[in-house]
Amino acid sequence: MALLEVENISVHFGGLAAVSNVSFNIEPGERLALIGPNGAGKTTLFNLLTGQLKPSSGKVLFKGQDITHASVFARTHMGMARSFQIVSLFSYQSVLVNALIGLQGIHKSRYGLVKYMLRDQELQAAARELLESVELWDLRDEIVSSLAYGQQRKLEIALSLASKPELLLLDEPSCGLTTSESADITTRIKELGSRITVLMIAHDMDLVFGVAERVIVLHYGRIACEGTCEEIRTDQLVKDIYMGSRKGLTAGSGGKL
Amino acid sequence: MADITKGVAVDATAPASRRVPRSLVEVVAPVAVIAVIILVLPLFIPSFVSSLVTKMMIYGLFGMSLNIIWGYAGIPSFGHAAFFGVGGYATGILILKVGISSFWINFLLAVAVAAVIAAILGVPAFRVFGVGAGNTNPIYFLLATIAFGELLSRMAIALRPLTGGSTGLAGIPEPDLGLGFRITSGRLYYLTFIVVAVCLYLMYRVVNSHFGYALRGIHDNEKRMQALGYNTWLYKYTSWIIAGVFGAVAGIMFAYFGSVMAPNSLAMSTSDISFLLVIMGSSTTFLGPLVASVVYVGIEYLASVYLPDRWPIIFGALFVFTIMVTPQGLGVEILKGWRRLVRGAS
Repeated sequence: MALLEVENISVHFGGLAAVSNVSFNIEPGERLALIGPNGAGKTTLFNLLTGQLKPSSGKVLFKGQDITHASVFARTHMGMARSFQIVSLFSYQSVLVNALIGLQGIHKSRYGLVKYMLRDQELQAAARELLESVELWDLRDEIVSSLAYGQQRKLEIALSLASKPELLLLDEPSCGLTTSESADITTRIKELGSRITVLMIAHDMDLVFGVAERVIVLHYGRIACEGTCEEIRTDQLVKDIYMGSRKGLTAGSGGKL
Repeated sequence: MADITKGVAVDATAPASRRVPRSLVEVVAPVAVIAVIILVLPLFIPSFVSSLVTKMMIYGLFGMSLNIIWGYAGIPSFGHAAFFGVGGYATGILILKVGISSFWINFLLAVAVAAVIAAILGVPAFRVFGVGAGNTNPIYFLLATIAFGELLSRMAIALRPLTGGSTGLAGIPEPDLGLGFRITSGRLYYLTFIVVAVCLYLMYRVVNSHFGYALRGIHDNEKRMQALGYNTWLYKYTSWIIAGVFGAVAGIMFAYFGSVMAPNSLAMSTSDISFLLVIMGSSTTFLGPLVASVVYVGIEYLASVYLPDRWPIIFGALFVFTIMVTPQGLGVEILKGWRRLVRGAS
């Protein structure tokens, strides 16, 4: 059974069909990349999958359950997590507090009104493990807004992993990073192995071809084509979408890599 | 509002590696000092000053209760007096109209009434606050909360048989603690101290609990909180009720303290006080509004003596003055000074 099934999903903003009739499946353990020029509807599709947006039509099934109208937090509890294209952290809190808040989101103690959160040994141990996995433990007392951008990116990924997801949705995990930092992210995603299924938006082709097993190309809110990395690399239509075509097949796309 | 370092509270339980725990320096020590001062003060000061101190404690609690939702959860409410007034009116009505004299029963019932009203008002209020996880302009929420206060104060005027209409309820007796132990005005000081101290302790636990940190997370980044699995609506709604309950406790003590309850204690003019206390005291510290209430009640008293007709201007000037001189609030300034003092001494 597919982990995530997307059936004919569409969303319209007024007259604009940002995503129209998109269908695809993700198998457990798979690493799938979603690419396409700017404005192709990738992030919109992400928001539909994670519940930030509700589709105009179509269905989303996660582990066989219809989650089309489930709330964002309910999906997280079912085992879905996401990162954000623009780093989305608790900027005025320390790194440690970020990790603790991140970890208790699916923890039963999260509604606790009496006990001090910072003295929760179980959470502290989990936070240490989480932060050590992204090499931020030594910086645990730093306020997040004072961290370097690459470190914030790492924390972003750590927070997405805090809820122990089965399906991880990464929205441009290497956005704004240097080449070496980006390579580091690539290794990290690979290290997740098959425990975590990954759906990733990326503009960085090294990341896409380094990580993904299958690629979906989105164009004008529709799936233009899908296939393995090798197929996508050589596909004429993908080239036309990204580079523009002399025949004017994809007029106005103007996408850039 | 940008600098949310939460001076006092964030570091409440610092890592064990530090020599002196920050919680000891920044919370326990100041609180102990303040408590001792308040306890021995009545021995040295005339009774009218101790009644001012009583008022400072009550307003301090009022400001700090607003700070739970404003400073921690990032929800500025313009109608916090609604709860203050509900607590006070409930006390007055229970004593004068229903005839329950016991302080304890009154207290519990008034708190329950305030909690129910907060629960009812919270439903429409949070339909317009941050539903789209940060995409919604808080101005609608502010307008809704203003409306709640005004609505309740109009109701207090209209329901004359119950509330005494526009003149309000007068002659609320001193609290009866049972067992023949009547509270005189001197003893009300200590009763207020105990009630406020207990509330402060409870609020401190709440803002540093798992729940409290979730509120800070919502303040910083509600979208991320939802993605992490938090039902942020429920957090905001619950914090609203909690803040309302503590605001109501302030109102209950105020009703006993002033022995009258007028409709304007539900309305904007009283909400403004809590607003000023949070701004002046700084929303980023736990004890800030308490500090501000000392300044506020002091100035209010001096104004009532020397410039009795100029209060609205002075009140407005206090807002402007605070923003100009200490935009971060007194709490932050005092905390900085205190840290310097402690570091210098050790």
